[in-house]
Amino acid sequence: MLTVVLQQAMNGLVVGSLYVLVALGLTLIYGILVQINFAHADVVTLGAFAAYFLMHRFGGGYIAAIVLAFVVGGALGWLTNAAIFSPLRERGNELLPLIATIGLSVTLENAMLAAFGPIPYAFDTPYSNDVLRLGGIFITVQNLLIVAVSAGAIGLLYAFLKFTFMGKALRAVSQDRETAGLVGINPNQLIMVTFVIASALAGMGGAMLGPVLVLTPFAGTSVILKAFAIVIIGGFGNVEGTIIAGLIIGLIESYTTQFLNPGWIDIVVFAILLAMLALRPTGLVAERREENV
Amino acid sequence: MSDPAPDARTHRPRWPWYAAAALIVALLPLVFTDSYWRTNLIVCAINVLLAIGLDFILGFAGQLNLGQSAFYGLGAYVSTLLIMQLGLPFWLAFACGVAFAGLAGMVLSLFAARLRGHYLAIASLGFAVITYQVLLNWIGLTQGPLGIYAIPPPPPLALPLLAPIEFTDLKNLFYLVAAFAFAAYGLLDQLVRSPIGETLLAIREDEVSAASLGIDCRAWKVFAFGIGSAVAGMAGCFYAGFVGTLVPDAFFITESFTILAMVVIGGMGTLIGPVAGAILLTILPELLRGLGDARLIVYGVALTLVVLFIPGGMVQAARALVVRARRLMSSPAASVGR
Repeated sequence: MLTVVLQQAMNGLVVGSLYVLVALGLTLIYGILVQINFAHADVVTLGAFAAYFLMHRFGGGYIAAIVLAFVVGGALGWLTNAAIFSPLRERGNELLPLIATIGLSVTLENAMLAAFGPIPYAFDTPYSNDVLRLGGIFITVQNLLIVAVSAGAIGLLYAFLKFTFMGKALRAVSQDRETAGLVGINPNQLIMVTFVIASALAGMGGAMLGPVLVLTPFAGTSVILKAFAIVIIGGFGNVEGTIIAGLIIGLIESYTTQFLNPGWIDIVVFAILLAMLALRPTGLVAERREENV
Repeated sequence: MSDPAPDARTHRPRWPWYAAAALIVALLPLVFTDSYWRTNLIVCAINVLLAIGLDFILGFAGQLNLGQSAFYGLGAYVSTLLIMQLGLPFWLAFACGVAFAGLAGMVLSLFAARLRGHYLAIASLGFAVITYQVLLNWIGLTQGPLGIYAIPPPPPLALPLLAPIEFTDLKNLFYLVAAFAFAAYGLLDQLVRSPIGETLLAIREDEVSAASLGIDCRAWKVFAFGIGSAVAGMAGCFYAGFVGTLVPDAFFITESFTILAMVVIGGMGTLIGPVAGAILLTILPELLRGLGDARLIVYGVALTLVVLFIPGGMVQAARALVVRARRLMSSPAASVGR
């Protein structure tokens, strides 16, 4: 029994750390723009497909595939900002950019469906079948790699936000855009950088989710729905809260699969989300931003 | 918002427009006699119901509801289960389906009453995901992904002095759904032009100011949600009897996005816009059938481009055309006058 609990804890942390990568992007964008990028889901999916094709069509290595997905994600993030968020910023309507990115997401998803078809791709990596044994629990080298790369990326992002000038400027803008502008920070450039970082992380997350999930054009959508739950449970715009909530959701997911029924995962996760919204809409970690609540 | 002279418009009599529209709707199934196009006409009428219901919540009360697919599905499943499991007569089950969807909408908005904007959008999306998963996983009740089959169409309507109207005939079924779409449109049109409509607009534009004038924003948002989701439930009841089978996939969250596209492309905040959007986005993909699965690409691209370039949708585009046409007509006269 204990080994089952520990084994599922391990599985939960693997999936949870990937959810954190995806959810951090949403939270960073929300922090600086107070906007939701619905097409974030398709950045994940495109990252996964880019990695898949590099490995299985062009014989690239897995690490190279992760790097490619990072670059593809970043490029898509830049494009989303330049094409949608930047032009809509002057209108000052809080819902229009969300609706436009829903349109972009529907477009990308169905373009991928037309290009890649609905049949799931078997995304194997050289590390998928190497199993390590730690006490009674098993972990594949692939999953170990996922945890290591995610933890590394999250750590770097955290250090970037805390210690670099740009990271501090980014936090300044998300706290108070006008005052940040007064001290000479250019918000447009920072928003662009945020989009690129956020989407690069999501693309990289896709490259690592591909081997874990069923890789179809809709893979990103199921991830993004959980990422929404995570950012709300963690407190929109709150980096620490998002990390904690992402790991919790990963654990809940693997325990629901083990002890209840895999079909109930979304029901459990979203029931927690709705309860959270009703009881504590500011999220797990207290947050100063309350204008939407 | 973009209405140049609201007073002049609201007091102009509407009945000639209703009469003209009713005449066109009455003629449609006589022009399109094959069952393929008559089927599309019924889908149009169902989509019109879904779109005007959503627009009442989104365009007038300013609440982004991404859960319209759930209310649609609740109406369909509740009415069908009451008919098939408990043997309730169609119209009683219909009333229950509409009421259940409306109540679900009210409960959701009551629950999320403190939330606005993005938080409400995500809460309603979460509600749609939960509803879809319950329909999929509560196999004892809904048959899950296997679906419910052989759902009867609405029973024949026996009017005095006339032969009973059979709804197995697609033409009659279209008239029935279209009549309800008309009734719902008329009801919503009355609502938005009454002081209630102005109250909702006040909440949409600035909730804090509205509250300071003594408006109970929470109650009005619950009201708007209830009406809009009940109309979606009505569409669901007709959908079940029309298609004859129910599977949860028909009510996945992408359906919410499709309905959103109809409202936004038509013109949110007007009632006629979503009607035009629903008809366009039902018929256009049929005309582009050669594209196969690319149907939804059309929806997505159109949705994004409309938000970016003509946020008022087809209504804004039509108004701009009318203004331009008037200018062209009047310019020679004006030069003569000078």
